Amino acid sequence: MAAGIRSRAAALLIAAGADLRGRARLGAAPARIAVVVGTALGGVEELEHALDHDPTPRRAFDALYDAPGHALADWLGARGPVLTVSAACASGATALGVGADLLREGAADLVVAGGYDVLCRFVLRGFDALRSLTRERVRPFDRRRSGLLLGEAAGLVLLARERDVRGPRLGRLLGHGSASDASHVAAPDPNGRGLEAAIRAALAAADVAPGDLDFVSAHGTGTPLNDRIETAVLRRVLGARAEAIPVNSIKGALGHTMGAAAALEAIMCLLAAREGLIPPTAGFEEPDPSCGLDYVPGTCRAVRPRLMLSTSLGFGGCNAALVLERA
Amino acid sequence: MGARVAGVGILTGWGEGPAALPAEARTAAAGRAVLPIDRPALDGERFRRATRECLLGVAAVQAMLADAGLDRAAIRGERTALLFVTAAAYGASNAEFLAGRAGTLHFPYTAPSALSGEVAIEFGLTGAYVILIGGAPATIDALWQASRLLAEGRCDRALVLVVETFEECEALWRRARWTLPLPLVETAACALLAQSDGAPAAYRAAAAPAALETAAETRAGRTLAGAPLIALGLARAAGESVARVTGTWRGRTAGIDLAVAREAARV
Repeated sequence: MAAGIRSRAAALLIAAGADLRGRARLGAAPARIAVVVGTALGGVEELEHALDHDPTPRRAFDALYDAPGHALADWLGARGPVLTVSAACASGATALGVGADLLREGAADLVVAGGYDVLCRFVLRGFDALRSLTRERVRPFDRRRSGLLLGEAAGLVLLARERDVRGPRLGRLLGHGSASDASHVAAPDPNGRGLEAAIRAALAAADVAPGDLDFVSAHGTGTPLNDRIETAVLRRVLGARAEAIPVNSIKGALGHTMGAAAALEAIMCLLAAREGLIPPTAGFEEPDPSCGLDYVPGTCRAVRPRLMLSTSLGFGGCNAALVLERA
Repeated sequence: MGARVAGVGILTGWGEGPAALPAEARTAAAGRAVLPIDRPALDGERFRRATRECLLGVAAVQAMLADAGLDRAAIRGERTALLFVTAAAYGASNAEFLAGRAGTLHFPYTAPSALSGEVAIEFGLTGAYVILIGGAPATIDALWQASRLLAEGRCDRALVLVVETFEECEALWRRARWTLPLPLVETAACALLAQSDGAPAAYRAAAAPAALETAAETRAGRTLAGAPLIALGLARAAGESVARVTGTWRGRTAGIDLAVAREAARV
């Protein structure tokens, strides 16, 4: 852990920031660089330390969920807006959307946006108590799916207005949408109304027709309920083309990285488009009759999608969707 | 298309509304470090498991509806956006879970989104949905986001909701230097923003605290994310037509100018 960095969450996020800075130049005045990060459980590990055995004022400050985002901004030397989004497991997508809004409104010229979460006893206990964790492997959309496994990650992208981009770019964020289920704190709406509203809002903002999509990165947790509801929503939104559009979930390979998940999935979409290869849904082997879309089984699919949709859901009835376009 | 503040509901450790605020919080606190708000007495089986902070969120929306002269049907549905902000309100539920005092089903309530989720369920809010963590600038970010959603026609009205609770983790918060000067004053507040014919609200980095920020802190005490909504409440109570609201947190300042409606809401 770097000197002066006091929490694992901040260290993880700063490690992602260092990787980003190695790939892209932050060519703007510090006051015009914003940081927007999403997290489901930001500083809870620090809160545990603060309540248990560390009575220092600094530990109390780090226990707040927005501490890692500010640590990243300080490390980057960014002096613009610093926002922390906590829309549970839809946080990463919402953060990218908020970051794009900051650019569009002229509140910043560059935005470092993404998501992160660390694994700790708190979150493992929590998901285990809900019986959400599988005892075997994660199998999104598979007939035998029995739950999720958690992962630890941070993923960041550099957002800029189209006219300000210097050098190569990975792709475009065309639109984003969010919606509340208003249904249940811990479970998705059984009809997926909030997710559908978020997807339709993102498509409208992007001015993209559902039938024009080439690829969907699904939330795909591998829990029986999520995957069935998500499939039903995609069938309604995509209509006649639903079974022709590849849909994957990378949670079978990476685990569910909570606040980082949607940021990683957005990056995966853009890399898939650049490389012309869509990753398979790891763990998907036996189709579930109640799902029934093209979940990219087995191996990478040699396709170069142009327009892509990424979907996310989380506790508290959070839903978010991104529409992306390849460079 | 611009945005106007059509109603503000404020509950604090001092009581309900701006009129309950003392002239000077530090003096009125008389040495108390935290001024809590009692758990709201809300009816309904659904609230049996809800945390105190969830109930405070519901109560804040009810107070806003009363201020705006609206009933709950006026905000129901997909054309109402919900933007929730807190710096610390998840502390109580997290501490409860960490201590092993909560049941197995309590885990989802440790997420900040549980509070806004309960509010969305109670009032049937199914529109755009954003949850921000941070102090007063995060609330200004939310007010700006709400204005932008209105300006783009992505909603007809937006609720900016703030809840801050400190009582359950008092020992933790009072030892943090950033909470000084005390008192920490629990706050549940909600502002209703509606479309107006004026220019969209401008987002800007504030050079210095606006008079309303100073007044909110002097009268209410430390309310973290609550201060900008208390400032809006003070502006509305004073009959001001435009509120310049600023906020500072972790060395960062933000500001926004918002039109304030004096007439009953039409949203």
